[in-house]
Amino acid sequence: MSQSLRPYLQAVRSSLMAALCLSNFASQTAERHNVPEVEARTSPEVLLTPLTIARNENERVLIEPSINSIRISIKIKQADEIEHILVHKFTRFLTQRAESFFILRRKPIKGYDISFLITNFHTEEMLKHKLVDFIIQFMEEVDKEISEMKLFLNARARFVAESFLTPFD
Amino acid sequence: MLLLDYQNVLIQSVLTERFSGAPPVSIDQTVSDFDGVTFHISTPEAKTKIMVSIQIRCFQDLLRYGAEEVLNREYGPYVVPPEPGFDFSIVVDLENLPAEKEARDELVKNISLLKRNAMAAPFEQAYQEYYHLKAEAAKFTSEEAPQDVREGGEVKVIHYREEEAIYVKASHDSVTVIFSTIFREETDRVFGKVFIQEFVDARRRAIQNAPQVLFRNDPPLELQGVPGVKNTGTGGIGYVTFVLYPRHLTPQRMPDVISHIQTFRDYFHYHIKASKAYIHTRMRRRTADFLQVLRRARPDSEEKERKTASGRTFKVGS
Repeated sequence: MSQSLRPYLQAVRSSLMAALCLSNFASQTAERHNVPEVEARTSPEVLLTPLTIARNENERVLIEPSINSIRISIKIKQADEIEHILVHKFTRFLTQRAESFFILRRKPIKGYDISFLITNFHTEEMLKHKLVDFIIQFMEEVDKEISEMKLFLNARARFVAESFLTPFD
Repeated sequence: MLLLDYQNVLIQSVLTERFSGAPPVSIDQTVSDFDGVTFHISTPEAKTKIMVSIQIRCFQDLLRYGAEEVLNREYGPYVVPPEPGFDFSIVVDLENLPAEKEARDELVKNISLLKRNAMAAPFEQAYQEYYHLKAEAAKFTSEEAPQDVREGGEVKVIHYREEEAIYVKASHDSVTVIFSTIFREETDRVFGKVFIQEFVDARRRAIQNAPQVLFRNDPPLELQGVPGVKNTGTGGIGYVTFVLYPRHLTPQRMPDVISHIQTFRDYFHYHIKASKAYIHTRMRRRTADFLQVLRRARPDSEEKERKTASGRTFKVGS
């Protein structure tokens, strides 16, 4: 793990632990509704201050807490066109399976690549520290996966090009 | 499996089986090949007379560049007037096959190379032009050579796919082959760029004697004034240029080089698609891993005490 990645992930982990303090809270505007306040944004008094943790200009996490839900948005590093395409493909692949991921939001927040929405119902039936573990592991692995895929693509391209040109030699 | 075959494997296997001395049967089979080429193998008159027809989109282009000569040279005694709806047909009589097995295999091989041979005509013509120009240029020093020798031959255009074409141009010291290729989507374009970059670099790094490969998104200078070349200005179309040097242009190497360069476009796109497929399976696996991690967040459902209908409890051995 690189020098700057460890404190970055540590900061995200602590902030998430602090933010994941959710309670059941029925909507104040619509009777008999119980909606994630961070999405509905109907009562400003139950929204808490959003927090951005940035490793550099290309990698950052936005945590938006509220009384009964929190929204975590991740911007994944994209150094060039290839990484951009790979990140796009990968996040699309994941969001299409949002149903089985429970906490994954179908659409990322503008400016980010992938968003999670955790409500009090999720924290009631799942272990809080394991949820945080999942987010942290996701952040670690997604970078690794993207760079491995890129390496694979380059290696394959090189091999393919050389095998095509060898018969001319 | 890395490199594509030059011949059509299905035709080869059908004919090998027929030529092996098996009792004649009637055949009616349509075979597809790359670039929208269709073959038809049939026995219209008798079971012993096998007709192979080919339909190529760019046959008119090929005729202009001497395809008829090449095909007559390759299939001379077998050529018949083309079947309706097809461009070229040959008939092989099973009762008149060569006696030796080698000669029969040779014939099968040659017939399965029908597409390659048809497409080879413009390339062969470019080779001939190159020999001619080289001989001409040898009479002059480079400054005083006449205009037509310095500029080289005309650009031969083969519209082998709907929106894509091969351009072949001979000059006195090289033959240039340009493929225009379309990328259907953004991913293909980016992957294609990675692949092409390696083609360009391969010569510098490993294979010094390979043809020079160039890539650009706007039409190269050689294609200026060629009808049908549009400058779209977007990244959707790419021009891949191969410059064949004298060492590739010897008469001995001609057949191999022509066969090989024809497969470029299909080879290139085949590997782009293969990489996409691999990355897809990889993402699928990684997604499964993530799900596994998330599942761990769910506490194991506690074993509830189970009761029978009469109210007695029992333990399941743990």
